[in-house]
Amino acid sequence: MSNLIFESVTKVFGEGSSKYVALENINFKAESGQLILVVGPSGSGKTTFLTIAGGLQTPTEGDVKINDSTIKSLSEKQQTKLRLEKIGFVLQSYNLVPFLTVEEQFKLVDKLKKQNLTEQKMHELLSDLGLLELLKKYPNQLSGGQKQRVAIARALYTDPDYILADEPTAALDTDRSMKVIELLRDLAHKRNKIIIVVTHDLRLKNTADKVYQIIDGKMQMIN
Amino acid sequence: MFLAIKEMLHEKLRYSLIVALIFLVSYLLIILTGLATGLANLNKAAINEWDASSIVLNSDSEGRLQQSFLSQDEVASLPNNGTRISQYSTLVKSENGLKENTQLVGLDSKSFIFKKLKITSGSKNIRNNAGVVSDKFKSDGFKIGDHLLVANSSLRIKITGFTPRATLSALPVVYISPDTIQPLNKGVTNAVVFKNKLENSKIPKGTNQLSISSFIKKLPGYSAQQLTFDFMIAFLYIIILIVISIFLYILTVQKLPNLGVLKAQGVSTQYLILSTLFQSFIISVIGVIIAIILGEITAITLPSEVPIVIDKSNIIVTGIGIIIMSLLGALIPIRQIAKVDPYKIIGG
Ligand SMILES: Nc1ncnc2c1ncn2[C@@H]1O[C@H](COP(=O)(O)OP(=O)(O)OP(=O)(O)O)[C@@H](O)[C@H]1O
Ligand SMILES: [Mg+2]
Repeated sequence: MSNLIFESVTKVFGEGSSKYVALENINFKAESGQLILVVGPSGSGKTTFLTIAGGLQTPTEGDVKINDSTIKSLSEKQQTKLRLEKIGFVLQSYNLVPFLTVEEQFKLVDKLKKQNLTEQKMHELLSDLGLLELLKKYPNQLSGGQKQRVAIARALYTDPDYILADEPTAALDTDRSMKVIELLRDLAHKRNKIIIVVTHDLRLKNTADKVYQIIDGKMQMIN
Repeated sequence: MFLAIKEMLHEKLRYSLIVALIFLVSYLLIILTGLATGLANLNKAAINEWDASSIVLNSDSEGRLQQSFLSQDEVASLPNNGTRISQYSTLVKSENGLKENTQLVGLDSKSFIFKKLKITSGSKNIRNNAGVVSDKFKSDGFKIGDHLLVANSSLRIKITGFTPRATLSALPVVYISPDTIQPLNKGVTNAVVFKNKLENSKIPKGTNQLSISSFIKKLPGYSAQQLTFDFMIAFLYIIILIVISIFLYILTVQKLPNLGVLKAQGVSTQYLILSTLFQSFIISVIGVIIAIILGEITAITLPSEVPIVIDKSNIIVTGIGIIIMSLLGALIPIRQIAKVDPYKIIGG
């Protein structure tokens, strides 16, 4: 069983008069098999929350634990390995390497993980996301929504325990958004993953197992 | 190096441009070092062929052979295993009108220098006004058996053999016997050359021992010429370093957001740095190889008056030099890669 725990996490940017509290005393726990939605207005601290969860930033106070080990106690190398093997990031932009075709984006992961799953697994994922005909295309030949879906497929491709997605549906129409969220929810439920999706798309609220809201750096469960 | 290769193949234009730049500068470097070596050889080739280690000259001569005159006593008090050199610069003509500026060098046929001389054709004979001459004469149309008429003199030197790499201060050498040179310069001994370095106690007052390498440095114009070349070559290295740095810097800045995301996705900084170094290495190797090939072709097609010598050591030094410069040029981009914070890109 995987889990992700925030223990009294506070994140402060800047010092003195420019000091800004982006996250304030957050306690949060996610367990395998859950799709968790984090909503909130712009600038409320959602991305900050997600990057701390993925170990891209360290909290000013408090601890973040992944599978019961504190992230900040891991070496740089261990953190890189953790991100490669356990975490799938889907970001707001720049997810895809511009000079690699869709197919090669997956091959890169194979090279890095010294594995070779490409053919079968990639086809499965891409057909689930309706992307099969895009294999030979470069990112600049894709629409915003297609790019976003390839990014999701790429994050899923490493079969991570955690998927951290920042506005993964921002570029998608309602139909596609629902499909993507359903795919993520199925993954959480059937494959026992922890999936955290940051969004301001309130239409997605009902699909999640839990919904948290962040306002001015404070987090509360609303559903 | 999947990432590195894919990027270069996808961005062919950009990377071809850098390769072209590296090629141009390397080509220039190879030609310049070739000229530097060629001109240096013209000055000193004959001395190198002597295979000696020291030379004794008059103390007041500042190391210049032409200005050095040794007295009979001085020569007599030096060890007798040295080769006495008597020189005279002049113009010679053949009977059918070929002309050549030349260095006449008088030495004994039993001296170690003469014994060392290699012959490309003819025989090694300097008796009775015969001469062994630089093969430059051969390429200029002179033949074995031709007579060289020495300007302002009735002396006629018969060519008996050609010897390779015999130029001194950019002039082809004519080796003759002391008797033959006697009427031209009164048989003066300008210097005595030794196979081994002499102990200081054996050097008579009024004379000065120089190692062959410092003697070469004092050849008229030699050091000034080589310094000029060294200066140009050093500048080219600096230019290539700056050009490569700027190019890689711009390329890296453009893809920084992607590199940040790759880091977030668990690609190690080390992998990204190695990618950049690999690219830098590949582009410089390609540029250098094209430059070497074209340099060789140029050297072959240039008229033989252009003293260009592209030898293996030049090519190796230039090649390694350029590759090192391009790896150094990758240092600034590497710093950027190391510094890029995935969060900064995502948070934006
Ligand atoms: N490096 C930083 N230095 C100072 N302040 C920062 C920094 N990063 C974020 N902030 C501030 O922290 C707050 C939360 O930022 P965050 O990116 O988490 O918002 P968000 O909820 O993701 O917003 P959006 O929906 O617009 O993406 C913002 O007010 C932002 O200005
Ligand atoms: Mg955000």
